Amino acid sequence: MEVTPPRSLTELFLGFFSIGARSFGGVMPWAHRVMVEERRWMTPADFTETIGLCQFLPGPNIGNASVVLGKRWFGLAGSVVAFLGLFGAPFVWVLALAILYADIATSPFVRSIVIGVGAAGAGLFIGTAIKLARALVDKPAALAIIAACFLAIGIGRLSLFVVLPALLVAALLLARKDLL
Amino acid sequence: MALYFCLLSLVAVGGLPSVMPEMQRYVVDVKGWVTAEEFMQMFAVGQAAPGPNFLIASLIGWKIAGLPGAFVAFGAMTIPAAVLAWYAVGLWDRFKESPWRKAIQRAIAPVVVGMILASGYILATPGDPDWRLWLIAAMSACGMLFTKWNPLWFLVAGGTIGGFLLRA
Repeated sequence: MEVTPPRSLTELFLGFFSIGARSFGGVMPWAHRVMVEERRWMTPADFTETIGLCQFLPGPNIGNASVVLGKRWFGLAGSVVAFLGLFGAPFVWVLALAILYADIATSPFVRSIVIGVGAAGAGLFIGTAIKLARALVDKPAALAIIAACFLAIGIGRLSLFVVLPALLVAALLLARKDLL
Repeated sequence: MALYFCLLSLVAVGGLPSVMPEMQRYVVDVKGWVTAEEFMQMFAVGQAAPGPNFLIASLIGWKIAGLPGAFVAFGAMTIPAAVLAWYAVGLWDRFKESPWRKAIQRAIAPVVVGMILASGYILATPGDPDWRLWLIAAMSACGMLFTKWNPLWFLVAGGTIGGFLLRA
């Protein structure tokens, strides 16, 4: 496939802006569509590898992708421009929605709709967790880590800053013993 | 708040779902800046709006300190991770074949799954356990697992069902 990286910072900005502005229901499908299909900035394989790395780094994976790709094409200026392009529209959108919502939140009907949306969003998290867990089902040690993490944080409401280091050390030891 | 969000930003491996329980514990249980129900509503707004759901941070900032709060919270939540990403790309490529890199990748996977699962549970249980919220969450989780539809439709369905079931 013929790929042409963005030629100017303006093109970079517009590309990421169009990802951010349209990304209802999840950014990733739109990122793929804009960067691989519409603008042909990169190959599908390159896209998957970049996202994989960004998934592993903390923070919003697509935000990280904007930094990583901006750096690759234009250095620091590219990172800043891509990051701002990506977040500009959604930032305004979400605040506008919040203001609108504050005005109509007194209606119990509107509140119940929004809570329903929240519950559906919670379900998407659970679905994501199950999807990811499918790759780990044949490893009892991995399931034990998942369960411990869920119980400590979900039910026990312990602080992440206590649970995370403890579990990571345990998981790392298990991984070195080839149990993960 | 800014400092706290900076910290959260740096441990949010796997994205927002991983740190959601901690964020909720802190702003709702520890600080009392927002109620559990408000938190869920902010989450819903953040999910329904386009863009990364990290934007919930700007909503919490907005609620605490208005527009400047929104900017500070959002910056604190995203910039540290972005800076880390900037430096990490180089390192990551350098250690491509290291056994430690592979061990770390394998170790992080189950921890991230556990954190995301805990987020889903906490968000679906803002107050006392409510079967109607669990039903909606279970439906969208199944929808996501067994279809390839845009997740937006599950949010629309959740809102519709919520409108009818939760009005009481």
